[in-house]
Order: sequence, then C-alpha cells, then structure tokens
Amino acid sequence: MSDKKKKGPQRTVILRKREMTLAQKMNTQAVAGYVFVALFIIGFLSFMIIPMAMSFGFAFTRYNILSAPRFIGLENFKEMFTNDPVFWQSFKATMYYVVFSVPMRLIMALVIALLLVRKSKASGVYRALFYLPSIVGSSVAVAILWRRMFASDGVINSMLQAVGINCEIAWLGRTDTAIWTLIILAVWQFGSSMLIFLAGLKQIPVSLYEVADVEGANPFTRFFKITLPMLTPTIFFNLINQLINGFMAFTQSYIITQGRPRNSTLFYTVYMYQNSFTYNKMGYGCAMAWFMIVIVGALTLILFKSQNKWVYYES
Amino acid sequence: MKKFIAIILIVAIAVGTVFAGGSKEEAADDGKITLNLYWWGNQIRNDVTQKAVELYMEQNPNIVIRTEFADWSGYWDRLSATAAGGNMPDIVQMDYSYLNQYQQNGLLADLTPFIEDGTIDVTNVPESIIASGSVDGRCYALSLGSNAPVMVYDPAITEAAGVTIPDQLTFDQLYEIGETIYEKTGVRTYFDGGINMMQILARSYGSHIFDELAAGDETTMLKHWTNVKRFNDSEASISPDLLSEKNPDIVETKPIVDGTTWNDFSYSNQFIAIVNAAGRPLAMSMYPMPDDAVEQPMFLKPSQFFSIAETSAHKEEAAKFLDWFTNSVECNEILMAERGIPISTAVAEAIMPLVDENTQAIFEYIDAVGAIATPIDAPDPAGKGEIEAIGKTTAEDVRYNTYTPEEATADYVSRAHSILQSQ
Repeated sequence: MSDKKKKGPQRTVILRKREMTLAQKMNTQAVAGYVFVALFIIGFLSFMIIPMAMSFGFAFTRYNILSAPRFIGLENFKEMFTNDPVFWQSFKATMYYVVFSVPMRLIMALVIALLLVRKSKASGVYRALFYLPSIVGSSVAVAILWRRMFASDGVINSMLQAVGINCEIAWLGRTDTAIWTLIILAVWQFGSSMLIFLAGLKQIPVSLYEVADVEGANPFTRFFKITLPMLTPTIFFNLINQLINGFMAFTQSYIITQGRPRNSTLFYTVYMYQNSFTYNKMGYGCAMAWFMIVIVGALTLILFKSQNKWVYYES
Repeated sequence: MKKFIAIILIVAIAVGTVFAGGSKEEAADDGKITLNLYWWGNQIRNDVTQKAVELYMEQNPNIVIRTEFADWSGYWDRLSATAAGGNMPDIVQMDYSYLNQYQQNGLLADLTPFIEDGTIDVTNVPESIIASGSVDGRCYALSLGSNAPVMVYDPAITEAAGVTIPDQLTFDQLYEIGETIYEKTGVRTYFDGGINMMQILARSYGSHIFDELAAGDETTMLKHWTNVKRFNDSEASISPDLLSEKNPDIVETKPIVDGTTWNDFSYSNQFIAIVNAAGRPLAMSMYPMPDDAVEQPMFLKPSQFFSIAETSAHKEEAAKFLDWFTNSVECNEILMAERGIPISTAVAEAIMPLVDENTQAIFEYIDAVGAIATPIDAPDPAGKGEIEAIGKTTAEDVRYNTYTPEEATADYVSRAHSILQSQ
C-alpha cells in the first residue's frame, strides 16, 4: 500500500478507478456470501476448531482443570488401552448400542415412511405425530419418563400383567435388559430418518412403477426391485448420520441408567464426561474423545468405500 | 487484498455489534451488583434458599443474586468447568472433601480479612467451626452446619415387626433384625456398600480408609466386601436388580421412599429431604458398626460450606451475604436449619423452638453423635470421586456374584491404589 502512494498523479487516477471497482465488488454476490457466512465461520472457529485443537493438545497431558496441564506423552492412551477396564466396558456398551439401535431405527423409519408416503387426508397429521418423539426424544423429561415406564412397578410391567403375563422384571436393573431399554428409546426416535426417507421415496419416478404394473410385478418385487435400489442413496445418507449420532448418544445413559448396572449401559460419552469433569481428568477425557474420533472416522470411511458395492446413483 | 480487508472490517463491525449488545444488557441493571450463588441440594433446599435470597434482595435493592443449583454429582462437574473457565460463581457451596483441592489451586478467596474486620461477624460462632473450614490458619470456607452419617429407618415397619432399633446397631444385629422384619412384614433390608460404609468400617478398627488404599492394604476392604456379600445373600435383602433400579444415590428414588426397604443410609442433613420424599415419618439411628469394633466410628462433619471465588469481582458484597446468611435470624427462619444446625449459637437458639419435629430430631441426633464422636478423617485425597465410582460398580459385581469378596478386594484395592499413586 505505502509504495503506491509514492507514485505520481497518473497512478492516483488508476487508483480511483480501482476504488470504483472495489465498490462494485462489494456489491457482488461473493462478498454478500462471505458476510452471511461470517458469523458461522467465527462460531465454527471459536466453538469447534479452536476447542478441538486444544483438546488434541490436552490429550497428551495430565490436566486436572484446576491447575496447569503437564505434558505426559502417550501415557493417557497407554492407560486407556492397557489399564482401564471401565474404558473397554464403556466401549463395548456403546458398540452394542450402535450395532442394534441404528439398523433397527432405520428399518422402523423406512417401514413407517412407506406407510405414510401414500396420499391421504390424515397423512400430514400422522407424519407430525411420528416425528414428535424425535423432537422431544433426547430431552431429560423423556429420559425420566422412560425410567419410570421401565421401573419394576412401571407401566410396561403393568401392561404385561394386564394381558396375563406375570412380569415383575426390573428392566433397568439387569445387565441383559437395561441396555435394551435405551435401544428401544433410540428406535422410537425414528422421525428424522423417516422424513428423509419420505423425501427419497417421493423422488422415485412414477414411470418405473407404471412399467412394473404393466409388466405385472407384485408389490413384493416392486419394493425389492424398484423402491429399495432407488432408495439406496437415502439409506446410505441416513446410515452415516445415524451411526455418528449413535456414537454421540449421551442423555439416555446419563439420565436413565447412569451406567447401571455394572457399567452395562455406561456409554463412551458418559464415561468421557465423568473422567473430564467428575474425576477432573481432563487430559484423559480428551484422549478418549480423540480415540472416538478415529473410530467414527474409520467406520465412516469404510462405509464410503463400500458405496460402489451397494449404493445406486441414477446418473 | 482490499476485498479481504473490507470483509475483515465488516466482520469486525458485526462482532462489535454483538458484543455491544451484550454489554448493554449488563448495564440495564442500573448499576446493581450481581452476585452468582451456586449450590447442590434437593428440592427443599432449593426452595428455601431461593426464598432467603429473595428476602436479601428485597432488603438490599442494589444487589441482584442469580441462583443456580444442581444435584451432588452434577454440581462438581459444573463447578470444575466454571473454575477452569475462570468464571466460577461468586459464592459456591463447598464440601469438606473438595476443600483442599480447590484451596490448593488458589480458587477460593481468603475469608480471614473479612472475619477480622467484622464484615463476617463470628462472635457467636465456636472457634472449632471456623477451624473446620481453615487451611494453614486462614479461613477459606464458612461452615453452614454440622452433619453426621446416619441410618434412616421406618419406625412404622419396625414396630409392625415387633423390633426396636437402638441408637446404634452392630452388623449382626442389623442382619438379624432385617430377617425378622422380612419374615413379619415382607419389607427388605438395604446394606450400604459404598464409600461411607468403608470409611465407618475402617474407623471401627482405628484406621482410615484412604490411608489403607494408598498403602494397598486389603484388611478393611476384605471385611467390607465380605459384609456386602453376606447381606446380599440374605433372603431379607433387596435384590441387586431392584437396588440398581431404585438408585439410593438420589434422594427421590431411594428404595426406602416407596417402602421397598425399611432402612437407608445417608447424612443427617438429608433426613428431611428423605422424609419429604417418602411422605411418612422416619427415624434415625447411627451407622451400624462391626461386632468386634475397637473404636467408635461415628464422627461429626461440617455439612457444607460457603466459599467465595478468588475470581469474584465483588468479594466484599459476597462476604456481606455470608454474614447475613450466618447471623440473620430472619434468614434462618426461612432456611430452618435445612443445611444443618446453624453455626451461630444465637441463631440456633432463636430458631430451635420454631423448627418442626424432623429438624428437632436432627438437632437431637447431632447432639447424641457429638457426645461419642471421634475426630473426623483428614479431608479426602484427590481421586476420591473415581475411587467412589469404582466402589459402586465393585459393589454391584459382588451383589451380582461376578466377583467373590476376595476377587473384589484384590481388584478394588489395586485400582484405588494406582489412582491414588497417580495423583
């Protein structure tokens, strides 16, 4: 800038011209775009990138929050993999939860979407109703409701008793059933996947079905030969989304079971939280977080690589 | 380049506007001083503290007190996070087991100057109570009352079963009474497998649980897990499934609340909350002790403290609030000794005739414990939280028969030992 000022009057003219173009440039769509995304970028930097970078640094320290972190190299990871049985318990519980809840939720979402895709006066109401659990689903209130429902004297047991099954199981108190109460809660919250499936279903060209009708295909064939293949991109998208969501599940475990019994429902995120804040082992918590990122990243990568094998893109 | 600068400028203006909006909000309080007050507790404490705070704001129109509360475990999660962020609330409730940790990290304001210049009036407060919140002769935490471990029981059930509960049971007596009660009424017994019972057990033999764990000594822990197993195997005891579901850690869901068990374990200042949750009269007995105890394990503990954050910009005003909280009869008529017997003897005397029978029972209980109590253990070491959590799962391992008492002991002591070593 400073060397420009030294130049003669001729130069000034050109500069003025440039300023004109600058004013014009300010009116371009690109600038407008930058301005609009600026707030997001600032938020993204200060609430995502910088904290993530810090957490990466903390992962290699012993840090009790209350005093300054101390560098300890890979100690946290060594402790995690070799000397912390609870870490593996929480990893196992989370894997179990994801492996069962994600496919079940997707199947549920697809089935309901297939029912609701038909046009009828009431379908709007039904869509709203089925979506409702997803809105309230991760709230504390629902978590507490769930705990009451599955109590030994709760409504689930009462209903079973009403139909003649004498059931007094403490669903939340057994290692084999407690995790399933959380999985059922997750499956119940199929709403957002359902909406995406609905959108996907509507994009399948009607002509395909018309041809199928002419050819005399039965509904079964129509579903497996037309609907399902055409829907694979949507399924793929939902699968990735729900997989990541599954690993991030927190409230259910934290509020409903608190990891009980015997850490069988202690989700990875909850144990990470306990380490970071309850036990004041922030460095260890950060190390756990980064291990989770690697696992989720690897699974997502595998899914992306597997696309050619099963996802059908029309174009 | 220019485009870039222009964008930066626009962004700066945008950010400026956002921040300006923020400071405008602060100024809207008309120069009032805002104090943040944070505590853990139960519904009653939340209600009465809120009422007391409102009264204080009425009497001091230039002060605005923002309150926040949480349950015990959530409280410490949040507090450490705010401490790390440098925005700890001005006044925080503090516990004996965390006092050292927070003081050592320079997070608590020294209250001694305020006591010396009379901002916090302690003329009616016994010296020992100031000492309980002091580190190296400087006071960092003002006690809010005295507390003692307690076994709560349902007198209606014990009466129906024809048994009487003495001031303090031995384990054998507890076991037998539990069986009688189950036989007569079908109500079950709960035996505390947690850190409080470990502490009481160690103290019964003149030892301290954290000393033993730090040294890798298995003596007390083997006894403890054997006891847990013994009670769990009794037909009269609550099943591990139900116990896990009811979760005795939370007052509102304790198994005694819905009458699944006739007894429960807690601290005396939780008594009123438990009675309220249960909605029927309950009574107190001291923690049971082993039959061959060589020392009385019961002790008195400061129930909780108020501390002022070192980062607080209004320490003086915060200290004035502490003074009011401690010495105002009016305030304590609202609080009604919910946090424990008021430390000011004048205030305690003034509200004694006003308190309900449950609080009266606590006053009497604390008196009875005070008569026989032995000195409290040193404040808990860092790492206590994790050791306590591992203890809970180990208790479940024993109750679900995954571990024998011997295996539980070996596993628990070695893990606790390594946690204490690494601090």
